[in-house]
Amino acid sequence: MTSDTKTSPSEMWKAVRLPATAADLLRKRHTLKAELLKQKNLLSTRIAILGGSTTTEVKTMLELFLLAQGIQPTFYESGYNRYGEDVLFENAQLWNFKPDIVFIHTTWHNVSQFPELMEAETTVENRVRSEMARFESLWEKIHTELGALIIQNNFDLPRLRPLGNSEAFESSCRVNFLLRLNTEFASYARKHSRFLVNDILYLSAQVGLEAWHDYTYWYNFHMALSPTATVELARNVAGIVKAVYGRSKKCLVLDLDNTLWGGVIGDDGVQNLILGRDHPVGEAFLDFQRYVKGLQRRGVVLAVCSKNDIENAKEGFSHPDSILRLEDFSVFKANWNPKPENIREIARELNIGLDSLVLVDDNPAERALVADQLPEVSVPDLGSDASRFAEILEHERYFEPDKVVQDDLNRSGYYSSNAQRSTYQAGFHDYGEFLASLEMTAQIGAFSPVYLERITQLINKTNQFNLTTRRYTSAEVEAISQDPSFVTLYGRLADKFGDNGLVSVLIGRVLGETVELDLWLMSCRVLNREMEFAMFDALVEQCQARGIGKIVGVYIPSKKNNMVTGHYASLGFTRISESSPGQESWRYDVPEPYSGRTRFIRRTAGTLPTVANA
Amino acid sequence: MLENRNPISREKFLLEMDEILGLRAGTLRGDEKLEELPNWDSTALISLIVLAESTNNAHISPEEVVGCSTVADLLRLAQVEGSSS
Repeated sequence: MTSDTKTSPSEMWKAVRLPATAADLLRKRHTLKAELLKQKNLLSTRIAILGGSTTTEVKTMLELFLLAQGIQPTFYESGYNRYGEDVLFENAQLWNFKPDIVFIHTTWHNVSQFPELMEAETTVENRVRSEMARFESLWEKIHTELGALIIQNNFDLPRLRPLGNSEAFESSCRVNFLLRLNTEFASYARKHSRFLVNDILYLSAQVGLEAWHDYTYWYNFHMALSPTATVELARNVAGIVKAVYGRSKKCLVLDLDNTLWGGVIGDDGVQNLILGRDHPVGEAFLDFQRYVKGLQRRGVVLAVCSKNDIENAKEGFSHPDSILRLEDFSVFKANWNPKPENIREIARELNIGLDSLVLVDDNPAERALVADQLPEVSVPDLGSDASRFAEILEHERYFEPDKVVQDDLNRSGYYSSNAQRSTYQAGFHDYGEFLASLEMTAQIGAFSPVYLERITQLINKTNQFNLTTRRYTSAEVEAISQDPSFVTLYGRLADKFGDNGLVSVLIGRVLGETVELDLWLMSCRVLNREMEFAMFDALVEQCQARGIGKIVGVYIPSKKNNMVTGHYASLGFTRISESSPGQESWRYDVPEPYSGRTRFIRRTAGTLPTVANA
Repeated sequence: MLENRNPISREKFLLEMDEILGLRAGTLRGDEKLEELPNWDSTALISLIVLAESTNNAHISPEEVVGCSTVADLLRLAQVEGSSS
């Protein structure tokens, strides 16, 4: 996220961020918005906020948090408490707005029926079903007719418990009833890919119910949440939206001494490190390591950046209480070079942008240096109290997942095996020999339901090898996959070092005997492996099968996709036009016969239709 | 109202109000009519309540703010140092 203004948005945001209190945000909202809107290449999204209470401040805060992520929202806002009517009666303004995302801001105030005291369990269960039916009718209508992603608040708890502690377990009490509804909401979310829960039960616990609900704001403005609570809600929703659009960070870069363990490994030796349950500080470091390990397990890539001799640094992980092990890290930089230099190398080795990195370092001087020289890298103010490291890291939602897909779980493995490939390559003088030795296989086929989540994820986060940088919601991807007027291809690539997973996506719109490529992208994991040739061969086969004689490729330049400027020329396309500055159209006439371009990749059976997506 | 231990200065309060309303710093003099100010809306009202509470420990109610017609009224309500009672 960069800007040409003197004060970058990230710096502007830092100036008021820690802590980003309601007072700060409300006071500075005009200035912040004006500065954040100066960013280039903001991603646009249309968000309908359907409220069960006043939503003005929710919209204000959400806009700021989204702009800070490089996302510029256009909003539709329902009338007060008209979240149900707007959908059920197909409010024309909402329908014409065509939202990408519908955020349903309801709270416990919007439960239409609580049980009566001492009601029979069966009656209570019927009330649960009835309440669920009411909400499900909205969700299904939104999905089928608006096609939008839904972010739905679950239920917070009221401040008052007339039946005291019994409310937790008596089924006819409010607290228990609300918890049951939350369980049902969660179950729905697990079964539906375009439905996400905004967990205000958790947020309200974090903030504290007395700070979450403020009677002054409820009775005077019908704000279900206090201004402080609204900040946390907006931060959380923005984190969810950021994740949906693939803007979560990818890599956590970690210092070692006094960050992952207490003490200095080079001076103290592994036996004297403070780590483990025998010491309060050691236990705090242990819990932080456990937290980091949890991130790694669900797909966050870990890297080390430490001022240490490498052998000393590695030895720290042989501590018997260390939860993190060397193999958890995809890149390990331990030397005496300046940290910005090491971090640039980490990004290069992982083939990701600097803006995908988060640095965690207890040393304020090192943090300041990196923040100054690499403003794209996120550098939270960690402090020196290990017991708070995880909380500080989590507060900014850097690594918010959309929904965890299988490829995420394997991600750090991909980066580790990529490092192996780099080392292996160094032993070859001829690049073609190297590629042949990899024994690559590719599975290429039309979009398949099992891959749609990963395809959507890739579409929304790939920037460099991306010919048009067009973004699609999961609803749009699903619709395209079923529409016979599109050619769709996904590509998976494996080699003898491992499976890279699904790495390439192509979408072409069929117009008579021409297919125009709306989207063609490839993960940076597999650059220079000639995977694009394999995809092109599959595309030509599709064209031949469907009687399409012409392929039109579109290149829309962005800040990050300069590497594909010559892509179509390299495939033998001819440039036919240039429209808005830099935007080009290229043409390829499918020859008969066609000689495949793929040299080093063996294609295995994917699902390619023999007739047009019928 | 809570006891005002560290009252904010009039000048600082007006600068904060400038920011709340999206005005250039130093615009407000303290005698303006609220209804004539740009961006004087429910969010500005809430911002003022939150500001007064966080900087001045002054708890002001929305009814009291609604009852104000000028910036000077707000200064008095927020117990700003130097505002006339």
